[in-house]
Amino acid sequence: MSQKSASIPWVAIASIDDSALENDGYVALNISFEGAEPEEPRFLYNWRSGDGLERGETPEQQLSNFNFLPPHDGRFYLSAQISTADGTVQNVGEWVLVGEDDGPIFTRPPIPDDSVEPVIEVNDVSMVFNMASEQFNSLKEYFIAIARHELNFKAFRALDHISFTVRRGEAFGLVGTNGSGKSTMLKIIAGVLDASEGSCTVTGSIAPLIELGAGFDLDLTARENIYLNGALLGYRKEFIDEHLHDIIEFAELENFMDMPLKNYSSGMVARIAFAIATITEPDILIVDETLAVGDFLFQQKCQRRIQELVGTGNVTVLLVSHSIEMVEGMCDRVCWIEKGKQRMIGPTDEVCAAYRSLGR
Amino acid sequence: MEQPIREQDGTQSAWYPERQKSAYILRQLVTRDFKLKYRRSFLGVLWSVLNPLLMMLIMAAVFSTMMRFSSDGIPSYPLYIILGNVTFNLMSEATSQGMRSIIDAASLLKKVRIRRWVFPVEKVMFAMLNFAFSLIAVLIVMFAVGVYPTWTALLLPLFLVYLGMFCVGLSMLLSSLSVFFRDVMHLWTVVLTAWTYATPLFYPVSILPEWMLALERFNPMYHFVGYVRELLLYQQVPSIALNLTCLGFGAGMLIIGLLVFRKTERKFILYI
Repeated sequence: MSQKSASIPWVAIASIDDSALENDGYVALNISFEGAEPEEPRFLYNWRSGDGLERGETPEQQLSNFNFLPPHDGRFYLSAQISTADGTVQNVGEWVLVGEDDGPIFTRPPIPDDSVEPVIEVNDVSMVFNMASEQFNSLKEYFIAIARHELNFKAFRALDHISFTVRRGEAFGLVGTNGSGKSTMLKIIAGVLDASEGSCTVTGSIAPLIELGAGFDLDLTARENIYLNGALLGYRKEFIDEHLHDIIEFAELENFMDMPLKNYSSGMVARIAFAIATITEPDILIVDETLAVGDFLFQQKCQRRIQELVGTGNVTVLLVSHSIEMVEGMCDRVCWIEKGKQRMIGPTDEVCAAYRSLGR
Repeated sequence: MEQPIREQDGTQSAWYPERQKSAYILRQLVTRDFKLKYRRSFLGVLWSVLNPLLMMLIMAAVFSTMMRFSSDGIPSYPLYIILGNVTFNLMSEATSQGMRSIIDAASLLKKVRIRRWVFPVEKVMFAMLNFAFSLIAVLIVMFAVGVYPTWTALLLPLFLVYLGMFCVGLSMLLSSLSVFFRDVMHLWTVVLTAWTYATPLFYPVSILPEWMLALERFNPMYHFVGYVRELLLYQQVPSIALNLTCLGFGAGMLIIGLLVFRKTERKFILYI
């Protein structure tokens, strides 16, 4: 894909005209140009449904507008690839909503019964940190403290006797205000932090969403980052090769694959992270605040994908958030942790109602 | 306690088993470092060859004309310098990069369960790769001064095993120490500078006074540099004593590094 961004004298603009929707049932995508008029531009139109499951394209043509007949109500993305004889290519697109909004997209999975195999077993876990009096950032401080016999330990309980079990196919929520210990719990589940007391047993593979600056390198292109990230998650190279296209497509980054990541918005990075984590069926998908940086369309798409994964019955979703709306929309059960203590655990509605009353 | 990740057959073919996973991560990280090092530079990887050549030219000019070191008994002074330099560079690059590797991977280590040793080890592998490129520069110098490589050069891989063990051990030690005491990072640049002068890289061993020569026995780099010069400059098979010394330093450092790293790695996450 050749993008000569430096030398493009024209800029394509896409606009949606849905005035004919009611009577004739089509939506028009019109392409206009800013700057110079391109010489003999050719247009290739694409469309796809909001969930990315349906798609279509027209043959290359010279018409600068495209009449799209939606197959059903819903959200669609209409896009055009405009190319000229000198090899310049640009892509533009717009979202369009046909009919009513497709309603609540996520339905909570049912609470599984006790016969379903548990994937996360948190058994009386406590986490004790030795507070700042013990953390030295330099040798000098350390030796001074030793000399003064000040190496005392001020214990801080970040988690205090937490126990819960998450079964296969559940969407389990962890809620709590800032600093309540959610992230500490998550780190213990992810296996990067060892609990001070108690045990945490996790069965199967974990796919976390990796944020900007963690597994992503800003100077590498999106393609290179996908391989790097895939490796860090433990994917096989052949598997990434095979699914590279799906990842690109899901993240809607077809035209930006060979651009360094530093030119991306944080939302675009979140898309790649989500696409990589969910391209296969992990046993446990950890969804945290990283997802919140995407726009609402992408969040809807993510929720659909999470729905699909949960629907298979094999994937367990662990959602960690202080936003109660997202938890209410997705989770069947919720554990509320407050100041390191387990306040409540149970069906979403009960726990969320109690959590909401906290503010009053 | 490490949590066991149970492999499930069938549907899990998307994932590598643990050991292969680490190997693939290492490969990807080395590729990343390689790309980042040469991205957007016009001469690219050629710099890995040019850099030691230019450094050697400067040092040869400074020390042979200005300082007038006698180079009696050294078949070729330029070759003497470049061999010392590229070897020392391998160690200093590997350890200074390896030292930061855990801190740099902090946000990742907080989220994903990865074998922590891959980060310092990867930096050593990357330094070894650069060393391989600088061997081209060494080869150019050898042909330029008329010292042609003989079959003793075939012992280079053995030398790299010794030095590689030493660098991995030192990098692991430094990377875990620097997690707890950031001072180590500042201190190490000073130590490396002192070490550069303490090792006969650009001056002949013969100018060292007696007491200094006695001290050099405890300088691992003195032996490593000596080893590679035996192979490519004097073109002799290094003595068994020298082999054992290099092996001893390499294995000893590796064991110390591994022990410290394994003992402390569980606490990393609390300090990064």
